[in-house]
Amino acid sequence: MKKITRTWIINGEERSVEFPPARRLLDVLRENLVLTGTKEGCGEGECGACTVMIDGEIVVSCLLAAGQVRDGSEILTVEGLERTPGGRLLQNAYLEKGAAQCGFCIPGMLVSSYAFLRRRPDITDASIKDAHAGNICRCTGYIKIIDAVKAAAERWPADEVVKS
Amino acid sequence: MAVLERVEYRHVGQGMVRLDGEEKVRGQALYADDVPVPDCWFGEVVRSPVPRGRLRRLVFDPAFDFSQVCVVTPEDIPGKNIVDMMGQDMPFIAYDDIQYRGEPVALVAAPTRALARAAAARIVPDIEALPAILTLSEVVDRFHRNGEGLHELAGQTIRKGDIAAGFAAADRIIEGDYWAGHQEQLYIEPQGIFAIPEKDGGVFIQGSLQCPYYIAPELIVTLNLPLEKIRVKQTAVGGAFGGKEEFPTLIAGYCALLALKCGKPVKIIYDRHQDILYTTKRHPVWTRQRTGVKNDGTITAMEVDFVLDGGAYTTLSPVVMYRGILHTTLGYKCPHVYVNGKVYRTNTFPNGAFRGFGAPQAIWGLESHMDEVASALGMTPEAFRLHNALHEGDTTGTGQTIFEPMGTPDVLEKTLARSGFSEKLGKASRGTPRDGKYYGIGLCFFGHGSGFTGDGESRLKAKAALDLEYFENGKVGVNIRISSTEMGQGTMTIMPQIGADGLRVHVDHVRCPFPDTKYAPDSGPTVASRTAMVVGGTVFGAAEKMRRQLEAFASESLFGGERVELDDNRFTGAVTGATRTFQEVGAAYLKQHGPLRVMNQFKLPDTLRWNQKTFEGDAYPSYSWGCNVAEIEIDALTLEIAVKKVTGYYDIGRVINPVLAHGQIEGGLIQALGYAVMEKMEIKDGLYDASRMQTYVVPTALDIPEFDLHFVEYPYSHTAPGAKGVGEVPMDGLAPAVANAVKSALGIRINTLPITPEKLFAAMTAARRTGEAAA
Repeated sequence: MKKITRTWIINGEERSVEFPPARRLLDVLRENLVLTGTKEGCGEGECGACTVMIDGEIVVSCLLAAGQVRDGSEILTVEGLERTPGGRLLQNAYLEKGAAQCGFCIPGMLVSSYAFLRRRPDITDASIKDAHAGNICRCTGYIKIIDAVKAAAERWPADEVVKS
Repeated sequence: MAVLERVEYRHVGQGMVRLDGEEKVRGQALYADDVPVPDCWFGEVVRSPVPRGRLRRLVFDPAFDFSQVCVVTPEDIPGKNIVDMMGQDMPFIAYDDIQYRGEPVALVAAPTRALARAAAARIVPDIEALPAILTLSEVVDRFHRNGEGLHELAGQTIRKGDIAAGFAAADRIIEGDYWAGHQEQLYIEPQGIFAIPEKDGGVFIQGSLQCPYYIAPELIVTLNLPLEKIRVKQTAVGGAFGGKEEFPTLIAGYCALLALKCGKPVKIIYDRHQDILYTTKRHPVWTRQRTGVKNDGTITAMEVDFVLDGGAYTTLSPVVMYRGILHTTLGYKCPHVYVNGKVYRTNTFPNGAFRGFGAPQAIWGLESHMDEVASALGMTPEAFRLHNALHEGDTTGTGQTIFEPMGTPDVLEKTLARSGFSEKLGKASRGTPRDGKYYGIGLCFFGHGSGFTGDGESRLKAKAALDLEYFENGKVGVNIRISSTEMGQGTMTIMPQIGADGLRVHVDHVRCPFPDTKYAPDSGPTVASRTAMVVGGTVFGAAEKMRRQLEAFASESLFGGERVELDDNRFTGAVTGATRTFQEVGAAYLKQHGPLRVMNQFKLPDTLRWNQKTFEGDAYPSYSWGCNVAEIEIDALTLEIAVKKVTGYYDIGRVINPVLAHGQIEGGLIQALGYAVMEKMEIKDGLYDASRMQTYVVPTALDIPEFDLHFVEYPYSHTAPGAKGVGEVPMDGLAPAVANAVKSALGIRINTLPITPEKLFAAMTAARRTGEAAA
């Protein structure tokens, strides 16, 4: 099959990758780029474990053909979070509050939290729940995830805000 | 008891951050599908398209080139073609009888997943279809007709006193029956295992699993290999909830059979659709509760039928039923008890372990029924329960005495007070909505047996080893070698907390790596809410032994023979007051003697009495206790049920790590919320009708209630640090509390799970038609 090449900024680094255009972004990340932090939980966009951020918007990478992601796009996966002050803060908040149990939903959950907090939202239980409604966690009952997002919001760095 | 009081805990009781947390939030934890396995092939299973029949032959498509793939059929199995579980009735690969839709008839491996799938699709079983029994309702119909045409997989009774005398002494007899359907564990990481053939003819199995010492000994029979040639190691596990207890033996067997035949590593990772269709579920239940009571509310007789849909083969259904029947009357004083437990075959995928293991099904019936009994007597739900709840010195349905202070009835009293239950119950809608909503409140009180049933722990003899050795960071440390697995609940964190307190060193010096049967002794499976209590106690004992050995070594080699005590990371001479650090003494020991391994074995008290035939005696080493009050709102127009608030108290013994323990309770309650009002799957043409995440709907962040949850600590006195079970406890009590709340809201008893708006609509319509709706 004909392959295409794309050059993306992945977790802050420019990387070129070759793949058949219809290949799922999830597979390109996990197999071509060996970024296995992003997980497959259902393969049909329901569980959110494969959530990544592309140019500031979260997507489920299992439903996106990698060929649809244009050259120059900025992709953030769980592995890139620690390179941003907000991302590291968020990871620590998850740890302190006990928000990760088995950890399998956490890569996608964290990316959803990060994208949410960068928008400087009103922090309420309802807004946090809304922002994470696409990420299923079977371990925590979500309580400690919500606590972690609240804790991170209180200390969120001023320079990690998207202008809308 | 004295031992417990003397111990000063520095780590136990602290909400320490989980030790595997960092790698999880960084995306670095390696789950089964993340582990690089060079030159790995992919496995697929060819399955029966009919639920019951006779396999005539396999038809291999002549147009497909099978030389590029590896196929395993029954003739390729080196040992016996059976899965070595209870009943010994399940073949690894079906060869004659087909007992469920999806039963394996051949295995395929290929260098790519796509090729393996293509090959599997080109092998078609030719099957003569036979009549099948597919649902629990068919089973119950036949049960009422004296079991006509049923295949019994297991049966067990419990008898206490004289049930006929109990009913004769009653003023009222109240009967009700209660149903619940399948529930899917829905761990977010699907099942995944890989097997690597070893040069010595053995096989190294790794993956997402709860019980390494189920897989290794069970596969001996099939692979015809000695135990030492079957090595099993756990990778990071993305949730299990019982779904990775017995089931992974199957997938490990498929991988191992293929790997041994083709000589390549073979990996099977189910996609979600396969995972829902072809793995175990919670057993559907039908239970009938018949209760004799005096007019003053005293229970005189409890008679229970408890029937489980076992699916096609025995697997561990008998044990699920045992735990179930032991919980059908638990929590209440009653002199006369008769419980009849059965597991019957249906031609569906074998049902299996799921958090609670029969107890949630039992408590669903019991606690729905206790409200009905109270109502028939004109008593409030709380007054009836307080009147009958077990106290210290009372006996359970098996004649076991509540032998030490426990959370019964404390959790009940505290939950009632905290939630304001009595007052709020007066405000329940009772069928008349206000502002477009019905309000309801419901109560549930329950116990949960901690550890294996009866003397199971005596027979298992759980072992733990502690290894004093160098960590890879160059420090001296202690590795806890147990077969208990981390699947999110916190084993890898609480064991170092416990071990550190037994050793009296800082927790930084203690680790609990992923179990590997090459290094870890058999501490039993990670099931039955036994890990913190049984294995934790065994680790604590091992740590105390190691401390004494190191104190003796330090005294002799470094302190000139004076008595030495290790405490708070420091060895101190009793006479001179000289001190040495744990690192110094550990390094000296390793230099002089090499690595130190200390073993310990769990032992139940000699006083424990249990009759496995009659189910009389001490059914569990101890019990956890819980109480839930659920407050709900039902939309008068859509009948959507919103569980708004849950108040609860739990006695889980000593709380090892309060953050992790709360995480267990909160997460378990949300799984129980799904069981109560959302998670629905039925059998259609022999398969589950909800077989994807799109159709099997579980709670999201938008569905969760407000929680007000607390612990009361009644430590288990027999083993330090005195934990009891926690993992399964939150699964037990929410569904009946919600059903009781629905009754208070609508005046209608819903006796089947899950309680959906459609079900409420049907029940309300029926009640209106017959004019029986409560005012």
